[in-house]
Amino acid sequence: MPVEVAEKPATENKFNRMSITSVAGKMAADYWEDIFTARERGKHIVWYNGSALNPVFQAAGLGWCHGEAFSARLAAQHLEVPAQQAGEEYGYLGELCSYSRTHLGCAVLTKRNLYDQSQSVVGEDDARELAAKLPAPDFFVNAYAGCSTGQQWDAMTYRVFDKKLPLFNVSLPMLWGNKPDSGYLVGEEFESASAYVAEQMKDMISFIESQTGTPFDWDALSENMTYIKRASELRLEAMALCAAAPTPATYWDWVASIAPINFMPANQALVDYFAGMKAEIEQRIRDGVPAVQNERYRFYFDGIMNWNKLGWLSRKFAEYDVAVIAGRYTHDAFWQEPDLIDPSDPLLGMAKNYLICPINSGLGVMKELLLRRIDEYGIDGIAFHSTRTCRVMTNPQQILARTAERERGTKSFFFEGDVADASFYRDDLLETRLIATLEAIDAQRVRAA
Amino acid sequence: MDQLDSSVLADLESVVADPLAYVAAWKERTGRKAIASFPMNFPAELIHAAGALPVILQDDRSPITEGRSLLAEFYCGYTQSVVDQAARGRFDIFDGIVLSDHCVQLLGAVDVIREIRPTIPMHFGQFVGSLDERWADRQVRGEIDGLVAEIEAVVGAPVSEQALSDSIRLYNENRRLLREFYDLRRSGRARIAPSQMQTLVSSSLVMDVEEHSAILAGLLGRMTSTQDAPTDLVRIHLSGHFCHGPRPELLDTIEECGALVVDDDLYVGYRYISSDAQETGDPFDALAVWYRERNTSAPCPTRVQQSVDWDEYLVRTVRNSESLGVIVLMAKFCEPHMLYYPELRRTLEDKGIPLLLVETEHDGIPLESLRTRVETFVERIRRRAAAAELV
Repeated sequence: MPVEVAEKPATENKFNRMSITSVAGKMAADYWEDIFTARERGKHIVWYNGSALNPVFQAAGLGWCHGEAFSARLAAQHLEVPAQQAGEEYGYLGELCSYSRTHLGCAVLTKRNLYDQSQSVVGEDDARELAAKLPAPDFFVNAYAGCSTGQQWDAMTYRVFDKKLPLFNVSLPMLWGNKPDSGYLVGEEFESASAYVAEQMKDMISFIESQTGTPFDWDALSENMTYIKRASELRLEAMALCAAAPTPATYWDWVASIAPINFMPANQALVDYFAGMKAEIEQRIRDGVPAVQNERYRFYFDGIMNWNKLGWLSRKFAEYDVAVIAGRYTHDAFWQEPDLIDPSDPLLGMAKNYLICPINSGLGVMKELLLRRIDEYGIDGIAFHSTRTCRVMTNPQQILARTAERERGTKSFFFEGDVADASFYRDDLLETRLIATLEAIDAQRVRAA
Repeated sequence: MDQLDSSVLADLESVVADPLAYVAAWKERTGRKAIASFPMNFPAELIHAAGALPVILQDDRSPITEGRSLLAEFYCGYTQSVVDQAARGRFDIFDGIVLSDHCVQLLGAVDVIREIRPTIPMHFGQFVGSLDERWADRQVRGEIDGLVAEIEAVVGAPVSEQALSDSIRLYNENRRLLREFYDLRRSGRARIAPSQMQTLVSSSLVMDVEEHSAILAGLLGRMTSTQDAPTDLVRIHLSGHFCHGPRPELLDTIEECGALVVDDDLYVGYRYISSDAQETGDPFDALAVWYRERNTSAPCPTRVQQSVDWDEYLVRTVRNSESLGVIVLMAKFCEPHMLYYPELRRTLEDKGIPLLLVETEHDGIPLESLRTRVETFVERIRRRAAAAELV
């Protein structure tokens, strides 16, 4: 039986990253630089978490700071520690969601910088480097699907700022699947929840108007959603091209492209980015350029991203000839159903996209979507990122693994890590389990031959 | 100072030790159905009014075995335990399972239970967690209607307004009786150990409400005099520990360290019995109001309400009970508790109220280590009190 995969791989980098992702990096850097100075340009600042409400904020002329996005950025740059230390000194325990822990740490530092610089708990240099760059909020908006911690997190940020700043909550019901007709994008439960959320969004917009003193620009929202819809269509078309073998792009490229689709301004640059991504993928297919040299295994990634290890993991899997092609976090999120969006009357379609967040459905839908991706991309194996402090993303993983094995014979393994806390990552376990899974796939292929 | 009748208490302890045996016996005796619910805010009255036995599922002491391959290890002990119990078929005795609380770990656990026990009807009527918005009451009321329809389908009998009003009265009475024990303990007229108080409340999560109330009334009538508690004990408030009770031996250890527990806001404690439903008007509406008012009478970090502060509530409660310190019992990995804890700490420290955090785990924690920490905590409070007297 062949066990070639057990050999120590070469140390060369066999992952061929999409060149356009460097544009995403530049866009993200520019976006945050712009936010850091937004107050100086007279913008009202909203801090928010969860759903991609940025097209609304953009139409309202706000500067918007997405808490998870900032935590992810800090972790990806390995700059999360000072914020986490500030959170720890304030009292947040290490097992708390590291997105929230990091962002709340930023809130602690921001507030102290605002009101009482003498009490800064981490070094002044750290404070200047990190949280001091986040403009203090004028108000908060929360619209979090699936994860109860998401809503409670902003309730705590509100309290860190001594309850002095307004907070508005949009409540997104879980699509639990109570009704016999419940399913992905269908059923009474989905329709009634969508209408309920759209109604709340109208109140949210009234709330924003009351904060800014400016009538909301509905035409601007329609324009924003036109860009979002087109960008999303291009993104999905580009993703579909990765059904090719070898794949021209990987999950890691889609991770590197989350920021534009998740929280950056809706404009022509956004559309151009995903048009460029699609064009580069098409060019790679024409030129026969693979994303992973010597692709022998096609993997799916389940779990939220381990932001500290994005580059590391992309190289690690490629070293073993594994192309990680799709994932729940990238492919079942971020405006993934653009057909639902009517730019001329966008709220209902936006609500529907928020509700189908991949952590907001019961197992029935999640199993259906996993099997769909396995079929679409010819998946051989699944890497389950058992994300220590992100319980919502790990909730269904054991059942999903069983389902994939039972329904498609797809092998999988689990590895430990975290979304924004590197201390939970276990490289030795990942490597051992990856090798074992590849051996199991080889054996499976031999039996099938 | 009075104390509880130990023989009656022993009967309740046996129910708490094996609640599913009680359920089986009750079903056998009555020929009726039993519906389980998950904590912490499901109105049991809805199930009772349909003629079924409402049971709030609790963890059990068994080591987690089959559940280990179903749920990640970094979930709270409660969710680990209920998944494990379900995997072992322990919940098959129930004719249905319902819940209304949105907790990320709880929903993950329940989704797994739904997967591995597909024949048990299950319904999630999600009560909105954020209570400030204008739609909150309407949303809860709508979910109550959905839950009623599901319960009626499982039981095969309607939930009438009259039956629900009767159930509300019975549950109010049960809560009132339990609160009497709290009043007795708080005022110093009775010595009720925290593990005993937990038994009183925990048994009410399982037993037929009329049977339980009769036992409580009997217990109140048979309180026996004993020696007064030593005056050098330090009055303590126990706080937190959601969804399930701390281990009794942990509670006993706290009192063995020179502490006298005089009050709590534990879920299997005062939090569970803190609110009554209105007995007049539409009883379905009354339960929606009850849900909202629970967060006022005992604020909970799983709810989001800007005008309600758990920390300020705790300060008021501690002062009312003349507690000298607070021991926060936190089930490991409990996210809402982890999120709110710094606010508790900040406020209590601002008010000069000593605080000790103790994390609990399903498999228990080293009691000798706990003893050292609690003894130190108690000693710190004594010294503060002594220093204050000198001043």
